[in-house]
Amino acid sequence: MTAGKFTFRVPEDRLYTAEGIWVLSEGDRPSNRIRVGLTDYLQQHSGDVAFAFVKPSGARLLADETLAEVETIKTLLELPSPIAGTVVKVNPALDLTPEVINRDPYGEGWLATIEPADWGADRAGLLGPREYLSHMQSQVQEELEKP
Amino acid sequence: MSKDKGRVVVVPCSGIGKPSGSVSREAAYELCESLRPQKTQLVALSKLVLGDAATRETVARTPCVAIDGCQQMCASKMVKKSGGTVIHAVAVLDAFRRHRELKAEGIAELNDAGRKLARVMAEELVETVDALGSSGVDKGATYV
Repeated sequence: MTAGKFTFRVPEDRLYTAEGIWVLSEGDRPSNRIRVGLTDYLQQHSGDVAFAFVKPSGARLLADETLAEVETIKTLLELPSPIAGTVVKVNPALDLTPEVINRDPYGEGWLATIEPADWGADRAGLLGPREYLSHMQSQVQEELEKP
Repeated sequence: MSKDKGRVVVVPCSGIGKPSGSVSREAAYELCESLRPQKTQLVALSKLVLGDAATRETVARTPCVAIDGCQQMCASKMVKKSGGTVIHAVAVLDAFRRHRELKAEGIAELNDAGRKLARVMAEELVETVDALGSSGVDKGATYV
């Protein structure tokens, strides 16, 4: 989607939350790990990332519990976990080069992988790419209409 | 003797719409107008973008400090593209990482933290400017 000079990408291979977190299953089985990160819109809207703190490996989270804090030059984002589960890996690149979130939000800028507690149930509450695109378009429209 | 001898050209970001652009320009003003007016020369990035011949010449023969507002690093890139040498580049984001308590807000008018961050950046650059001035690095300028 393009709005003015901005282009926001929404890959079709993953699911999303309304808050702007993407969720990618690393396989089709219910036991597969889930990789998560920030959407292109959220990272562009929030600005250059200065710090990224993700709950460490082993942390158990409920859905909507804070998974990460990402501080940008503009704002502090408290990012809720899109699913319940256990953090199994945190992106090591975030320690020294958190700007990787801006550079490659859907690839090298991932936040963490999570072992889901109940992927089937949590997946049902996530948005598909078309739904997220529509939601994001509304957010962009709201931004454009701000005085 | 040239009045530019031992001077350093300072090129800040010219971006609009983000506090970090304002911080970079505020830092440049602080450095060039308050802290080291005799040793620095402020150059507008837009003049390099336009290809202004006199400005390009100045940049090409004088060591440059680039103050970048964001990761696009336009100031650094334009100095290099104009034939100049960036002897020191600073980015507002990196300065914020070192001074997390100074979160800039506001664009037309920076908040206190933003002005302090600009001041801190300018003070950090003084060392670079002084070091260059004392070492006489000026890329061999021959003007009188």
